[in-house]
Amino acid sequence: MGFSLVGATAIIGVSLIIALEIIIGTTVPTITNVHDSFDKMRNRAIEQVQTDINITSVRTLVNGSDHDINITIDNTGSITLETEDFDILVNGTSYSFTSSKSYLHPKNTVYFNVSSLKGTGIRRLKVITNNGISDYYEFNIT
Amino acid sequence: MGFSLTGTHVVFFISSVIIAGAVSGVIVAVVTDVSNSFSERGERVKNQLDLEFDIINDPDNIPISGNYYLFYLKNTGGAEIATSNETFSIFIDGELLSTVNYYFSDSSTKIDEVTTLYVLNTEVSTGDQSLLVVGPLAVEDEFSFTI
Repeated sequence: MGFSLVGATAIIGVSLIIALEIIIGTTVPTITNVHDSFDKMRNRAIEQVQTDINITSVRTLVNGSDHDINITIDNTGSITLETEDFDILVNGTSYSFTSSKSYLHPKNTVYFNVSSLKGTGIRRLKVITNNGISDYYEFNIT
Repeated sequence: MGFSLTGTHVVFFISSVIIAGAVSGVIVAVVTDVSNSFSERGERVKNQLDLEFDIINDPDNIPISGNYYLFYLKNTGGAEIATSNETFSIFIDGELLSTVNYYFSDSSTKIDEVTTLYVLNTEVSTGDQSLLVVGPLAVEDEFSFTI
């Protein structure tokens, strides 16, 4: 009877150790992964709060029968922005653009050029940063 | 008498080993299942935290191309998004659109990139409306606009 009890206890004990190893082996990496993703999400939220831009002026230039525009944007936030990840909408439509610099540091200015806008009249400009922060500006093409 | 006592002990020993083995098997199997489910759930939570997108249109100027209104979705999260009418559901003013009435310009959208969502113009009326875009793992963004 005593030997049976020892044998059974040993078998259950080994299985409990195996179960514990399985729990630790899956729980720790899962919690680490979720923590990493949560950390990144928190950083993205912090960066969004710290991001702000201001369109200070839009200059129109005649380009044949069309117009080019030169947009001046100030980084009024406190993080550096990558200008290639910006998006520019004129009257709601996305346009490709060139920029005067790749990185827009805080308290710095960048110039964007959008070419070959057709027609004249008031246009509404929206500039969006890489993390979705935007600013609007209305200008007139004469 | 002595031999029957030994036989009884052997029977007890074998039965206790069988019962302990069965209990151990159940414990290990249950713990493995629960751990796997926890791991899968953790993976889904991780993916959910990584997914984020914004509709970046100008709400007063929704562009139109042929028979489709164009909505721009920017990937502002930390992972590439599979953008198709199977992974995304679109609601306009609360009504779910059929998958034949919209499509995306790209099958996947990398971080910081923009994809265009084409919505058939017969699904969009005039006036103030709301567009709800529900992506993978129920990550969503709502956008109010005027046509």
